[in-house]
Amino acid sequence: MTRNRRLAPQIGEVINRSAPLGFTWNGKPLTGFVGDTIASALVANDVRVVSRSMKYHRPRGYMTNDFWDPNAFMQVGDDPNVRSAHRLLEGGMAIEAQNVWPSLDRDIKAANGLVKRFLSAGFYYKTFIRPQTLWPAYEKVLATFAPGGTVDLDTPHGYYDKRYAHPDVVVAGGGPAGMAAAIAAAQSGAQVMLVEHAHVLGGHLRWGSIADRALADELAAEVHGAGVEVLTDSTVTGRYDDNWTAIVQRSHPIAIERLIKARAKTLVVAAGLIERPYVFAGNDKPGVMTSGAVRRFVNVHSVRPGERAVVFSANADGDAAAADLERVGIRVARVVDARAGENVIEAHGNSRSVESVELADGSTVDCDLLVTAVGWTAPTSLLNMAGDRPSYHEQSARFFGSASIDDVLTTGGIAGDGSIDQLVEHGRLTGRLAAARAAVIGHQLQAATARAVEPANAEPAWPTDDRAPLDRHAHPELFRSSTHGIVDFSEDVSSKDLVSAANEGYDSVELLKRFTTATMGPAQGKLETVNTVAVLAEARGETIEQVGTTVWRPPYAPITLGALGGRVFEPVRVSSIQPWHEAHGATPILAGQWVRPEHYGDPMAEVRNTRTNVGVIDVTPLGKLDLRGPDVPKLLNQLYTNKWSKLAVGAVRYGLMCAEDGVVLDDGVTARLSDDHYMMTTTSSGAGSIWEWAESWLQTEHPDWRVHVTPVTTGFTSINVAGPKSRDLMQRLVTDIDLSPDSFSYMQVRSGTIADVAGCFMWRIGFTGELSYELHVPAGYGLHVWKRLLAEGVDLGVQPFGLEAQRIMRLEKGHFIVGQDTDGLTKAPTTGLANLIKLDKVDFAGKAELAWALDDDTAPVLVSLQPTDPRLVPDEACQIVRAGTNEILGRITSSLMSPTLNRSICLGQVLPHVAAAGTELTVVLVDGRRATARVMEHHAHYDPEGERLRV
Amino acid sequence: MARAKAAAAGVNPKAKASAKYSAFGLISRGATNTSWPRVWRDVPLKKTYDVVIVGGGVHGLACAYYLAANHGITNVAVLDKADLGSGGSGRNTAIVRSNYLTPEGVAFYDRSLDLYNTMAVDLNINVMFSRRGHMTLAHTDSALRTMRWRAEVNKLQDIDSSVIDPSEVKKLAPSLDVSDHARYPIVGALYHPPGGTIRHDAVVWGYARAADHHGVEMHQKTEVLDIVVEGGTGPEGKGAGGKVTGVRTSRGDISAPIVINCTAGWATLISDMAGVSLPISTRPLQAAVTEPVKVFLPTVVVSGSLHVYVSQTDRGELVFGASVDPFNTYNIRGSLEFTEELAGHVLELMPGISRMRLLRQWSGLCDMTPDYSPVMGITPVDGFLCDVGWGTYGFKAGPVSGEQMAAAIATGQTPTLIEPFSLSRFAKGDLVGEKGAAAVGH
Repeated sequence: MTRNRRLAPQIGEVINRSAPLGFTWNGKPLTGFVGDTIASALVANDVRVVSRSMKYHRPRGYMTNDFWDPNAFMQVGDDPNVRSAHRLLEGGMAIEAQNVWPSLDRDIKAANGLVKRFLSAGFYYKTFIRPQTLWPAYEKVLATFAPGGTVDLDTPHGYYDKRYAHPDVVVAGGGPAGMAAAIAAAQSGAQVMLVEHAHVLGGHLRWGSIADRALADELAAEVHGAGVEVLTDSTVTGRYDDNWTAIVQRSHPIAIERLIKARAKTLVVAAGLIERPYVFAGNDKPGVMTSGAVRRFVNVHSVRPGERAVVFSANADGDAAAADLERVGIRVARVVDARAGENVIEAHGNSRSVESVELADGSTVDCDLLVTAVGWTAPTSLLNMAGDRPSYHEQSARFFGSASIDDVLTTGGIAGDGSIDQLVEHGRLTGRLAAARAAVIGHQLQAATARAVEPANAEPAWPTDDRAPLDRHAHPELFRSSTHGIVDFSEDVSSKDLVSAANEGYDSVELLKRFTTATMGPAQGKLETVNTVAVLAEARGETIEQVGTTVWRPPYAPITLGALGGRVFEPVRVSSIQPWHEAHGATPILAGQWVRPEHYGDPMAEVRNTRTNVGVIDVTPLGKLDLRGPDVPKLLNQLYTNKWSKLAVGAVRYGLMCAEDGVVLDDGVTARLSDDHYMMTTTSSGAGSIWEWAESWLQTEHPDWRVHVTPVTTGFTSINVAGPKSRDLMQRLVTDIDLSPDSFSYMQVRSGTIADVAGCFMWRIGFTGELSYELHVPAGYGLHVWKRLLAEGVDLGVQPFGLEAQRIMRLEKGHFIVGQDTDGLTKAPTTGLANLIKLDKVDFAGKAELAWALDDDTAPVLVSLQPTDPRLVPDEACQIVRAGTNEILGRITSSLMSPTLNRSICLGQVLPHVAAAGTELTVVLVDGRRATARVMEHHAHYDPEGERLRV
Repeated sequence: MARAKAAAAGVNPKAKASAKYSAFGLISRGATNTSWPRVWRDVPLKKTYDVVIVGGGVHGLACAYYLAANHGITNVAVLDKADLGSGGSGRNTAIVRSNYLTPEGVAFYDRSLDLYNTMAVDLNINVMFSRRGHMTLAHTDSALRTMRWRAEVNKLQDIDSSVIDPSEVKKLAPSLDVSDHARYPIVGALYHPPGGTIRHDAVVWGYARAADHHGVEMHQKTEVLDIVVEGGTGPEGKGAGGKVTGVRTSRGDISAPIVINCTAGWATLISDMAGVSLPISTRPLQAAVTEPVKVFLPTVVVSGSLHVYVSQTDRGELVFGASVDPFNTYNIRGSLEFTEELAGHVLELMPGISRMRLLRQWSGLCDMTPDYSPVMGITPVDGFLCDVGWGTYGFKAGPVSGEQMAAAIATGQTPTLIEPFSLSRFAKGDLVGEKGAAAVGH
């Protein structure tokens, strides 16, 4: 029989009793109210067991009743691992227990509890060793113990977003001190962002006395009045260098979750304190709760967490919990006062609830609710991330920050103890200090930023921290009773496990953590770390300070992959001509970030037309770097293997770039447009990496060089006009450049006006092997120029050609493509361009290595190949082997059918002893058959002398 | 005979048999409530050792174990400034494979995989080697061409590795989006069934425990402050031509004729102490893990072009790694940008997991050499050896490196397998090349 555990209406409750919400729990329909968390709604419906533990599948109830509650993870629809003590109830929610089979009440794996003594932490390292053949089967069984919910792989991505913010002050935590800090900072003129983990401001005041809650409302009103930006249900989840803070905003009107990236001038950490569970036998029985959990249930959501309570109290919060229980008519059978040396030894009970508790004085008290109030853990994560290593303060039994950090301040419980008034006062002083420091930092930033307006006033003096520190109240050190119990509830690790692991030699915090997995669960140690350390200290006979803690790493609160990924700003890149390509039947191909036309129907015909008439191809993805400054030749000499000091204005040169190991990185041409102005082109795939490479040399090795590099790949639309009639076509579009071969010869560059578009430049190069002009026109005019080329050249037979035709033509010419015909092992001499390696230069990337490589007579050689069967086009990557063996001699790197020669043609890398022209080689086809191919004399299968492009 | 057999099992015949890990041991100790002996002894630091190994990670511990087990050299100390396995050994994503490109690479990593295959029995600890298969995705035709190359080479070398099409990819990992409307469509993959993951901590502890059984000493929180060299041509008698006589540590001086640098991240700083300069730059590599969910990803998935690799542990967490960050640093704080780019790319691959939450991020240090290959063996300082420069793939190579380094020390000869990795190659122009295979993907 289900009881209604909802209390009579109370002052200060957050539920709206006139707004019921229907939901299901494990398929059973239940009702809660607007304002309920899932947890309060379940408890109101008399649900006590809400989950099963990871390893032993022990029944568990709510324990801390907040975001970090290790027992509160549930599946809500397609959303796994929902924190049910934090997530607000919504109508129609389908809520289910996770990781139970066949059901929460009858879970088969609970049988593990019977053999618990054999399954101590890390047991799996010690068994399933022999026979090895059985391990894969064991592994499958172990994997079924993975905790957590189920991902529906068809979950739609949904809408996530990001926001950048540049507040003066970010306050992490909206309790009394945090609110006071935000108010004071805003009143000092700072732009303030106040980030509160819970759904409303107030911190621990929310579940405090009536007066506490009134104060919370008062401060919250003052926060809003001061113009503070308030983010609730949000967490400052990471603090990175220079106060780059990551804030996860879980409640957003549109986005499922939003990541706010705030560059805070100062960060105030007012994260409060997290109440620590107590370690004793039976401490994970349903009905054992922290004092905060109970007060939230009773005071905030008006539910009865039990009927008869025992309260184990070491502090005022425990006493207040007892008072709250009595006030609402829950019988407090006994207050066990830790300050008087009383203690809890063991909780007894059944699979549904605690039934009695055994005390140190030998008595046993019946109860269905055992409240513990044994102290707090300071969530120092953000301080850790700022470089602080908190230290343990024995008298108050918790950790405190130990470093003084200019732009990270603390206030509230994390900084010390005091009355609410004292905390608020400390918060105000902290807010004022944060604002004053933010003003100085802002001034410094403005002065240091080249393009900013000069600050009008002089830099203010650095405000010193003259806050009187908060007290540190004495608190008993209570971590573990005389019995052993669970330390890490998410991982089912007990203090006994920890002690035996420590005795086994895993006796530092890091080793213990790795071996037992304690603190590695979803709360990431917020509830477990200090108890773990305390148990270890006890086992080692050392102090907590000596043992130390683990380093808290980001994120403080977990964040969805959706929010981190946000909307993906990696748009597919297209040139300004793309609409024309699409309208003219181009088959698209994805090439790196770009979509480009592969062909317009018949690549073979495109080749033939270009070789006979004139063709145009959109080569916009070609990487383009604008280089300016007097030291550009030095940079070029550093990056390329050949020489650049004497490149004349108006000239273009081909260059090869190598990494320091001599491996080919990239190639392309660079033109000198004027004295101090050069344009470099890279391969399409190298556009980004070569920019990085250039900057890396400039910034780390040669910061004194006066060179400015600007990537302009998308700033220009690039069009190659190729074919014997290309000059005729260009003459119709260009008026201010003399195109005659004597004036504008091969490997020259000219700037001017093309098709009435000023600010263009063009050069004569020849990837296709034909007379050709590569045009670079301001991107916005690309489509215009393209259309004009096609319109003006109708009688010349102009046709567009795509990537495929270009690949064929370059292969006919024997030009290699970096990354296809070369690979991560190909040093420059392999390409046949040894003459471009100028060892008499002072230095260049790869020089030392290439000096040796030039003498290496064992490195592979790039050669042109023609299969014996002219119809056979071997797959690229087919291996070349010694006949009759599997001994690899090389491989085919490019392979296509040539419409010009009407036969298959290839490029390949082969070992030097089989690289001589005329050598017959064995090629292993992908299906295993073997074929033969012959090494050719020249790289170029077509026009080896290059007569066609120099006209 | 019995001794040899016991040695092969990594157990000192003098040690009590009950120290052996087995289901029976678990049950009998559980039933009698007796605890296990220490995984390695806690002994005082001596003044003299035959061999001092700097760095208590997989490489250092494997070297120590094989020195003792294969060569009977047991007066060995492994020193670590923190805890065993707290550097790269505990920060990697524990992926192993052997589908490399060059015959040297294949031979080397195949041996490593062999050692991993039998490690559980050899070291008597379950290292939880999960042979779940390893899949490298291709998003472009050119990437597919590279995969085909690797597959064709591997085929000729009898390595189980082949190119598979998107429908087969989907069968192996249903969470992957193999549709052609993805931002980075999956056009195929290189599939390597013998690859998988291992519990990296277990490898560390297994080697430490087995080495301990042979008498090797593990000294944690023992930082090496200096290496003592005499007769060298550099300052303080260090450098080329010198001879190692010992190390100074935070816990006192030790004399030893042989000192091996098995560190990562700080390899150059340790070598500098001996006056040996290494062509290494140190870069961070970041990784992250999600909250656990029920297992849905049965293989290791790598996407080179999206700079991400992902596997799901038996505990249900997704473990992500990336490529090294493009700058030098000793700083191991993670960055927000890393998690953003990682999440964005992971969701490109697996759009259905957007609601999974990132739980923890971390970073480790990678020592990068110009040819993406390690530096192993002797140095110009007599008695000072290196096993460093392991870039992003040191874990995969731990066992074979330890085995070969041990052989090098014991025999005074450089074994064939590690000959290509000598420090002198940088002065001779003899760089190794596995860049295409080793550094790009995991």
